[in-house]
Amino acid sequence: MAASLPEDLYFGGIKELNRKLQSREISAVELVRAFSERLETIGPRYNAVALSLAKPAAKEAKDIDGDLKRQRFRGPLQGIPYGAKDLLAVAKQPTTWGARPYAQQVFDEDATVIAKLQKPDAVLIGKLAMIELAGGPDYNSAAASYTGPGLNPWDPTRWSGGSSSGSGIAVAAGLVTFALGSETSGSILCPAAFCGVTGLRPTYGLVSRHGAMALSWTLDKIGPIARSAEDCGLVLQAIAGGDDQDPGSAGKSFYYAPEFTRDLKMVKVGLATEDIDDWAEPAARPAFQAAYDVIRSMGLDITEAKLPHFDYDLLIDTIISAEAASIFEPLIVSGKVDELQDAKQIAAFKAAIDIPARDYLKAMRVRSLIQSGFRDLLAEVDVLLAPAFYDIAPKINLPFDQQQDKRPTPKKPGLSALIPAANMAGLPALCLPCGFANGMPVAIQLVGRPFTENLLLTIGREFQARTDWHKRRPPVSASPAAA
Amino acid sequence: MAFLTRRQLALALAAAPCALPAQQATAPAAVASKDLTAAGEEYRKHSVKLAAIEIPMATEPAFRFKA
Repeated sequence: MAASLPEDLYFGGIKELNRKLQSREISAVELVRAFSERLETIGPRYNAVALSLAKPAAKEAKDIDGDLKRQRFRGPLQGIPYGAKDLLAVAKQPTTWGARPYAQQVFDEDATVIAKLQKPDAVLIGKLAMIELAGGPDYNSAAASYTGPGLNPWDPTRWSGGSSSGSGIAVAAGLVTFALGSETSGSILCPAAFCGVTGLRPTYGLVSRHGAMALSWTLDKIGPIARSAEDCGLVLQAIAGGDDQDPGSAGKSFYYAPEFTRDLKMVKVGLATEDIDDWAEPAARPAFQAAYDVIRSMGLDITEAKLPHFDYDLLIDTIISAEAASIFEPLIVSGKVDELQDAKQIAAFKAAIDIPARDYLKAMRVRSLIQSGFRDLLAEVDVLLAPAFYDIAPKINLPFDQQQDKRPTPKKPGLSALIPAANMAGLPALCLPCGFANGMPVAIQLVGRPFTENLLLTIGREFQARTDWHKRRPPVSASPAAA
Repeated sequence: MAFLTRRQLALALAAAPCALPAQQATAPAAVASKDLTAAGEEYRKHSVKLAAIEIPMATEPAFRFKA
């Protein structure tokens, strides 16, 4: 029998759903079944699903109902349905990394983040589609995925963003309450921005990557995509923490405590006016300007800021390519790399294996200077504010290199390189939906010092108290005719 | 992460819920030699640009991130 819930519940926040579970207004079994059916029905229309876990989820939900009946409350995530990017190992289940050569891969233990979410009894209902191998050294098409191109719920002729494609889609379409994604350089922020949901890239080392596919040891991070900054904070609290099995672990925990963040009037925000005036797609400028005005109205101290001057794309390309080629050396030398979907990614892998050590080490040495530059910049301002992406999601029917922006490159760089720059510095970022351009969502990003997630989330929560962009829903219906 | 034995793998796959069908999986890409040449050329350009960046001799690679 088909389960269904009032539409609002599919778009409810974590605390709201958990309150309904605790008050027995709805059971965990009902909630999990309804979300699982929705994920299985709607998810494939958008190529969002790698694997449904409806059966084990239903069993888990039954146990949770037993606990709830006995008033054994385990926190706000108890009974909440979520999805995980298919680069995270789930014991005894296929973990494809979005790539045909790994379609039959099964691990015998859970990734640390999956195990951590079991403690507060969050319920994993599915593994979510992704760009193959999280993009590898490079890729040129939304179709670079074993499960097909991620289609945007706001307009299925456009891309969902990637590489955490399914995670962005599933949250936006109300198929899960939150999802786990990963970012090496932009893979949480991109789908969050393009799908109109909230995404948090944690500080490097705050969340264990044990059991996650490695693309770049020195850049990979795992973080939540959710409906709000508050939900991201609740999830981060559950998944953060030291882990001896992750050599990059910082050994730090995270407690979501926005009430203890300092007065926002004492927070200095750096931005670049040319980001909106010169870099942003003209149709998106009013939304970005309005978002900056909201931030200003919150009483934050706004000032101009500039990134340290480096060729960030050159440096991050070299680092990701060299590390990825080493990680996937067996795939490359065996020739199985040819089974990937994206010709550009195959070629980049094959070429990247010959990157000389001197290039990698030079890029990593310059990266030290970038970190030093950011320490100086973030001594002057507490937070950097910029558009998450300057354009709306691209069309899926053309390779990326055939839909380049025809506008001339602006003379002043502004904060346009903030994603690769802040990733190389290991800094946290929060992506907040801030409006629409040509019917598609656009978003801003906030970047802070290492381990200042609470400050970013507090600003995000206040921003979302003053706006309702994060509550907007795409035109998704469970009815097949509405696909 | 340890891999399963072939027997364990076969059992796991038999027990696992099927991946959802009807998504738009496509055939693997064919890589033309011009793609490989272009990718190699791109990294060679990177090499030239990286070599031109002047940094203090004492600069060590970034392998640690401090708060």
